[in-house]
Amino acid sequence: MEDVRYIVGEVLPALWRGLLVSVSLIVPSLVLGLAGGILLGTSRVYGTGWFRRLCDGIVLVFRGFPLVIQLYIWYFGLPRIGIYLSPYAASVCGFVCCSAAYHSEYIRGALLSIRPGQMLAGHAIGLTAFQTIRHVILPQAVRRALPGCGNEIIYLVKYSSLAYMITCIELTGEGKILASASFKYVEVFLTVGIVYLLLVTLVSRALEVLENHLVIPGFERYRT
Amino acid sequence: MNDVASFDHSLPILDISHVTKRYGGMVILDDVSLSIRRGEIKVLIGPSGAGKSTLLQSVNFLVKPDSGTIRLEGKPVDASSKQALCRYRQQVGMIFQDFNLFDHLTALGNVELGLVHVKKIRRNEARDRAMQELERVGLADRAHHYPAQLSGGQKQRVSIARALAMDPKVMLLDEPTSALDPELIGEVHAVITRLGEAGMTMILATHQIGYARNLANEVVFMENGRILEQGPPEKILEHAELERTRAFCSRIADARG
Repeated sequence: MEDVRYIVGEVLPALWRGLLVSVSLIVPSLVLGLAGGILLGTSRVYGTGWFRRLCDGIVLVFRGFPLVIQLYIWYFGLPRIGIYLSPYAASVCGFVCCSAAYHSEYIRGALLSIRPGQMLAGHAIGLTAFQTIRHVILPQAVRRALPGCGNEIIYLVKYSSLAYMITCIELTGEGKILASASFKYVEVFLTVGIVYLLLVTLVSRALEVLENHLVIPGFERYRT
Repeated sequence: MNDVASFDHSLPILDISHVTKRYGGMVILDDVSLSIRRGEIKVLIGPSGAGKSTLLQSVNFLVKPDSGTIRLEGKPVDASSKQALCRYRQQVGMIFQDFNLFDHLTALGNVELGLVHVKKIRRNEARDRAMQELERVGLADRAHHYPAQLSGGQKQRVSIARALAMDPKVMLLDEPTSALDPELIGEVHAVITRLGEAGMTMILATHQIGYARNLANEVVFMENGRILEQGPPEKILEHAELERTRAFCSRIADARG
């Protein structure tokens, strides 16, 4: 009974605050990360010369460095060169770059799966390469990449918990504070875990609705 | 000199001169020259690998020739200028063996795309125009079907409508019926025949010798990247000068019955 009062009276209000911060981290990271991933992936397939190598390099670095290290660099490292980011801004920067690097691979794979004839047909009616990519190739590739990108978005929901490492107190951070004060680690972190589970369920459901909404008869598969 | 009004009609509308294309060590097109006058229909025949497809794709610069010149209405195409190339490609419609409809768009969307993004026509006007083109190929009732919901013959007719929407001066057709079931070939041939009757200039690669005989003003026989012989259909298909041409034509006639 005391536990219930503790959870309802102290844990839930704190976690609600944390949840709001988490959501405010996830939403911009998701949108910008996906946009960045589409740009990076497209550049790596259709770009040439130094530009393509630059994009390859960006992906190598942001997939190669552990995310925590990246966050430390954004928050603790950049002040060395005179750039001061708030914990929130540093977290979003870290998540966007990491997320974009992973999305770019799903997008790249999807772009490579589009039949070359689509590009030829675009050129044949007088579209430029850019227009063909924008209006013909990407709309198909994004649909193909969506299941993979959805996976990355679900990861993002969970790795947003790393923000507390650079003092951006979100859901996990609030949980940590509560648990340290009360030593009720099991109760607190079970509750935190359940909140993440609910969040992930919600996102999966939203992705499913989006996939159904974008489905084209015969392009991917028939849905019933 | 370059605009249509002052164009001398006795000159070829499209002139392909000395086009060569190599892939690695292989010579795919070996110094090919061909010209076609307004309203003329030329049919390319020849074994697989003869270079028919590559020739048609070179004319539209979907394959970049290593050397040679393409002239449209007397004006050489500058393939190094993106804008010039896009303008030129609008005027030369291309039909592919495997249709290459945009898979994520309906029949109407396929025809509309070029009107909106290439010709920069407002979307509702583009829609009307696209609808007219679909009517022209007898597919107005399939306007809202996606490619996967259309038969092969219907897909090829949509792709013809898509090319026609750009108001091409010349159409290049690369084996337009080779990927079709036999019973669907007729509907596509009917559309092409009507185009020819309406005065469209066309270069058509095909293995359908019977159809070629009825349609063509001239038949061109290609092998190993070269044009070996060309002339009126009766001559090439029945009394060709070269032994090689006669052998090909009789073999293909046996096969098709």
